[in-house]
Amino acid sequence: MKEFKSGFFVGEESCNGRVLVVDDEADIRKVVRMTLQKAGYEVLEAENGEKAIETINSGENRLLLDVMICDIRMPKVNGIEAIAYFRQNYPRVPLIVLTGFPDTDMATSLLRQGVVDYLVKPVEGEKLKASVARAMEQRKLAPL
Amino acid sequence: MNTSRPVSAAPTRVAIIGAGRGGTALLDLLHQISAIDIIGIHDRDPSAPGLQRARDLHIPVVDQIDDLFRNRHTQLVMDVTGDPAMDQQLHREIRPGVDILSGSASRVVWELVRHESALQAELLHAEKLAGIGSFAAGITHDINNPLQLILGLAENLAEETDLHNVHEQAREIVDAVKRTTAICRDLTSYARRSATHQQSLVDINSKLDDALRIARYAVGFQDITIIKRYAPEATLKGNPDELLHVFVNLITNAVQAMEHGGTLTLRTTAEETAVSVHVSDTGCGIPPELLNEIFEPFFTTKPPGKGTGLGLYNIKHVIHQLHGTITVNSEVGSGSTFTITLPRASVTL
Repeated sequence: MKEFKSGFFVGEESCNGRVLVVDDEADIRKVVRMTLQKAGYEVLEAENGEKAIETINSGENRLLLDVMICDIRMPKVNGIEAIAYFRQNYPRVPLIVLTGFPDTDMATSLLRQGVVDYLVKPVEGEKLKASVARAMEQRKLAPL
Repeated sequence: MNTSRPVSAAPTRVAIIGAGRGGTALLDLLHQISAIDIIGIHDRDPSAPGLQRARDLHIPVVDQIDDLFRNRHTQLVMDVTGDPAMDQQLHREIRPGVDILSGSASRVVWELVRHESALQAELLHAEKLAGIGSFAAGITHDINNPLQLILGLAENLAEETDLHNVHEQAREIVDAVKRTTAICRDLTSYARRSATHQQSLVDINSKLDDALRIARYAVGFQDITIIKRYAPEATLKGNPDELLHVFVNLITNAVQAMEHGGTLTLRTTAEETAVSVHVSDTGCGIPPELLNEIFEPFFTTKPPGKGTGLGLYNIKHVIHQLHGTITVNSEVGSGSTFTITLPRASVTL
């Protein structure tokens, strides 16, 4: 059985949207998943930018990925490179940066590139959920 | 022709009498000055520490003081024995035309040497503190990550009803706090002023591991593969804080040379009398024309405000004080290897 919710057809379970969390630390991915799952989101994980690009290019994610939350300092393909790829190839997917290091210049530059939010760890669950909700609003407005 | 340095006249040829603490320090200092040529050193006591030091530096050890007196090349005799009888003997027996530095004059020189050594220690500390500025990004990152975990788990615990999950997550919070504490411990141990005279038995392999941890704050290790090839029993007598500083510096330099990733190899070799540390990178390499300059003070290839230009200069000084050597092998485009060789038992100022 399929239902129509948040503008998308989703699976049997109620789902507010599909979020990809990109961070090289498994602990961070775990707590972000914990927070967002409780808020009704489906959470996918990737450990670096390369894996994030692989994820969005696989299967139905091309169509069904709603939001990406991305760290900056990561091996292989870092956050900056991954964000550039997403902006270019999937401009309709809103991006949220979640980084351990506050860098004003980088934040300004990323927000100019259309990043929805630049969050600095540690970020409270409520703030993270609000940011994802805002990104989801933007996602709904974007043309497919 | 190198225009940055004055053209020097022929070096002044100096003989040193006395190879105790003062003589050894004087030997170490004069040996670094190209305008001075040490033609020999003598001590009545054949086991005086400066004599072994002289042999290591390939400076002639003169057993009979008369041989020093008769040496036609001697221009200046520096007597650091503090023995009034030696002073009299010198003035009685030395060839005419040879200058003598003894008594209160040599005491003044000894004070100058000590002063110079204190300045070097200050410089080492200042350079270390300047470098810690570059740790800010790494430390913030490494503290904020566990904080995110702690915050997320604590928020979850407020609602968690499964007792098993409560216990597990409480344990994870404790672990995350311990990780954060370890960062602070590393930093304070690195930043403290080292007591130069203090020497203890240092396990070089574990010092390299400590340095690797600390260097991670200063530079990003993304896409760097680390290879460790440690020899067992790589221990020596030295100042642990200074050696840590040396290793952090070398590792930081190596990683910075590999902007687009690469392999960092840390290797130790242990022989009966000496321990060697090899720090290799597969980075940009050093052009041959710069190899002579990298150990000079204020030499840096980094943009203004990024490097003090004192890193390798200080390393050379620390290694020299431990009576060791530092060499570099480098090829542009392939990488560099810095090799430090230190005697197992060393004496210092």
